[in-house]
Amino acid sequence: MRFMLIVKASKDSEAGIMPEEKLIAAMATYHEDLVKAGVLLDASGLQPSKKGWRITFSGGKRTITDGPFAETKELIAGYTIIQVKSREEALEWAKRMPNPGEKDGEIEIRQLFELDDFGDSAAIDRFREMEVSLKK
Amino acid sequence: MRFMMLMIPKGYEKAEPGTLPDPKAIAAMMKYNEELAKAGVLLGLDGLHPPAAGARVSFSGGKPKVTDGPFAEAKEVVGGYWMIQVKSKQEAIEWASRCPASDNETIEIRQVFEAADFGPEIAKEERVLLKHMEENRTAIS
Repeated sequence: MRFMLIVKASKDSEAGIMPEEKLIAAMATYHEDLVKAGVLLDASGLQPSKKGWRITFSGGKRTITDGPFAETKELIAGYTIIQVKSREEALEWAKRMPNPGEKDGEIEIRQLFELDDFGDSAAIDRFREMEVSLKK
Repeated sequence: MRFMMLMIPKGYEKAEPGTLPDPKAIAAMMKYNEELAKAGVLLGLDGLHPPAAGARVSFSGGKPKVTDGPFAEAKEVVGGYWMIQVKSKQEAIEWASRCPASDNETIEIRQVFEAADFGPEIAKEERVLLKHMEENRTAIS
């Protein structure tokens, strides 16, 4: 099972303030532990939402809005994807993550869909082919 | 430049565990995904189970506290993402605009930090980490 650990944005991350060396070091150690356990698949940090955009869809019309976006608590600052055997194992790893926020950091844990979850269909078969080619 | 396109479907914050997208929407999205792949810009993509099946960990006071989903106060949640590699912000916006999204969906586009943004030491450490992640992915698949 794959899970995404979503690091929620904080005032600092939204202000574009880079984490302190201490936190970067703690995060490096944590991700090294994930690697050693063979569960880490991917991890990235996102630049603040003020440098981003949103596109809303209405029929054929697209509207582009520049960031920042108001709801800091709903925004994402980064993510880590892990492959584990159970939801409990994912939660254990999540609890071990260094506090990503200044004081009251938060991460959200969400399971990723696997292609087998969708049952058999021609469209899903095309996804399978694409995944194989992406891995090359 | 790498960009993450985050799909935010309205109402997904209240979706029941086990909710799957409509097959017609999947087929339309598949065509779009193939175009991204053919253009050589697609690095990865995934769909996320509804938050009702997820959890949040908060670290107030240094102690991790687990709260199971759904999250009553959530106004919007991520339903999926694409990671793309393009030459400019404009190109990222163009790709996002071409997505066959429906009226209740919003796509947020965010640039991803590259290791070089954190200085040479971190960049070096990341190269080692990336190599190990690649090995994990190969071992798992």
